[in-house]
Amino acid sequence: MDRSQLGFDQNFSGAADDDFPSLLRRKGLLAPAVIGSMPQNSRQQQTWQPTEATTILAFKFSGGVLVAGDRRATAGNIVVYDRADKVLEIDSHSIMAIAGVPATAWEMARVLEHSLQYFRRTQLQEMSVDGKVRALSKLLRDNFGFVMQGVGVVVPIFATYDGNSKPEARLYFYDAMGAQFEATDYAATGSGSPAVRGILYYENTWGLKRLHKLSEQEAVSLALRALDTAAESDTATAGVDRSGKIYPVIKIVSREGITTLPENKIAAVFKEMVA
Amino acid sequence: MIEEPYRWVEAIANRREYIEGQLAPGSPIAALGYREGILFVTLGQTRQKLFEVYDRIAMGAIGHPGDIERLRMAAIELASTEGFTRSAADVSLRRLVHYSLSPVMKSAFEQIYGPPYLTRMLFAEVGARPEDDLFLRVEYDGEIASNGATYARARQDFAVLSGTRQSVELMEAFLKSEHKPDASFEVAVNSALDAWSIGHMLLQAGEAKELPARDAIAQHRQEQLSIVAIEAAVLERDSSRPIRYRSLADKELRSIISR
Repeated sequence: MDRSQLGFDQNFSGAADDDFPSLLRRKGLLAPAVIGSMPQNSRQQQTWQPTEATTILAFKFSGGVLVAGDRRATAGNIVVYDRADKVLEIDSHSIMAIAGVPATAWEMARVLEHSLQYFRRTQLQEMSVDGKVRALSKLLRDNFGFVMQGVGVVVPIFATYDGNSKPEARLYFYDAMGAQFEATDYAATGSGSPAVRGILYYENTWGLKRLHKLSEQEAVSLALRALDTAAESDTATAGVDRSGKIYPVIKIVSREGITTLPENKIAAVFKEMVA
Repeated sequence: MIEEPYRWVEAIANRREYIEGQLAPGSPIAALGYREGILFVTLGQTRQKLFEVYDRIAMGAIGHPGDIERLRMAAIELASTEGFTRSAADVSLRRLVHYSLSPVMKSAFEQIYGPPYLTRMLFAEVGARPEDDLFLRVEYDGEIASNGATYARARQDFAVLSGTRQSVELMEAFLKSEHKPDASFEVAVNSALDAWSIGHMLLQAGEAKELPARDAIAQHRQEQLSIVAIEAAVLERDSSRPIRYRSLADKELRSIISR
C-alpha cells in the first residue's frame, strides 16, 4: 500500500503552509528560505549596497494603473542588455515590475505566477488581492538571506485590479525585506526612482490635473517624460534609446485585464510629447 | 489469503464488483473536441465534477469525493512542478496519466488489504488542431482508454465517462454518428447534452442495448434541464492565452440550447 509515489502527503491539503513555494522546496526545486548571516571572514564591516539599477514607475490614472519600466540591464558600469523586460504579467489582472538582481527577480516572478495558478487550480477559487500581495511579500522575506549576503536584492512594485469587494485598481510597493506599502497615487523603484518620485509628486500636487484624472495619452506621455528624466542622471536607466528605437515597456491594468502598449503607439506619443 | 492465487483473484473480483456498484449512479460526462477547443459537459447540482489541471489539461471525474480530490491534487502538483521547472509545453497529459497516475491506481487496486481509489476519471488535453486533441479515461484499476485509433475502431474526437459500461457504449455510439470535430460551439453543446441524456437514461433503464428514440432523448433532456444545473467547461484552442481552461456558467449555455 504505497500511495506516496504520487508525492502528496496524507495531511490535509490546502493548509496555508502548503503553498506552491513550499511544494517546490519539498521537492528540492527552490532554494530554502533561510536567513543567512553576514560573511564572517570579512575584515571590515560590510555595508549592504542597494543595487537596483533600473527605473520602474507606476501610477493610477483614469484608465487603471499604468506601469512602466526602462529596458536596460546592467552589471556595475557595464550595460549587459538593452531589451530587458522588467514589467512582468503575473496573472490576467496583476503585474509585478522588478528592480534588482534579474536572476532572483525573474525567478521570483515565476514562482509568484505559478503560485497563483496553483492556488486557483487546487483551491478552486481566485486568490484575493490581499493574498497575492502577501504571497509576494513572503517571497521577498524568504529571499532576505541572500540579500544579506550581498546577492539577490529585489524591490518590486505590484499593480493589480481588485474585481471583488470594491472594484478598483490597487498599487503596492515593497522594500527588500518584504514590507508592503499600498500606494494611493504612485510608486517608483530602482536607482532612477528619486527623480521619478519628484516628478510624480510635483505633477500630482501642482500639475494641470491630478494623476488619477489623466487620460491614457497624458499618462503615457508623463511616464515617458519621467523615464527620460531618470535616464538623464542615472546611467543604469536607459530611458528611450532614440537611435535604436528601443522604447520602455508600458502596461496598463484595468478592469478588463492587462494591455501592453504597442511600440508604435509609444513611439507616436514619444515623438509628439517628449522628443 | 494472498498466498492462494485463487483467493486473490476472487478478492479482486469482489473488489471490482463493489467499486462498479459504487460508481454506477455517477452522472455521465461528455467531452467533445470541436473547432475552437474541447468542451466538457455534465449535469448535476451537488458537487463540482469538472476541474482545471494545467494550462491545456482539464479533467472530469465521478466517484468518491475524497479519492477524486487526492488524485486531482496529485495531478495538479505533478503538472505544476513540471511546468515550473521546465516549461508549460513540457507538461504532457500522456506522461501524467501513463507514468504517474495509472501505476499508482493499479497498485492501490490490487493490494487488497489497502483501499482502492473509488473513482473513474476523464482527462483531456487540447491540441493545436482537433486531430491533436487527446482524451484519456482512467479507471479505478489504472486501466487507460484513449481516443486514439485501435484495431477495432477509428480515432474519436470525443470521450465519455459514465457509471456503467452500457451507458458509456451507447453515449459513444451516439457521438460517433452525430459528432464532427469541426462542429461549432453551439452544435457541440447540443450534442454533448444529448449524449449526456442518453447516458443518464441508460443508468436508470439498465440493460438497454439500443439507442433510445430521438423524441425520448429530447424529452428526457428537457425534464432534466428543468431540474438540475448544467456544469460545463472549455479548453480553448486559441493559443494567444497560455491558460485555456474556462468554466462556463449555466446561464451562458441556456441561451444556446436548441429546443
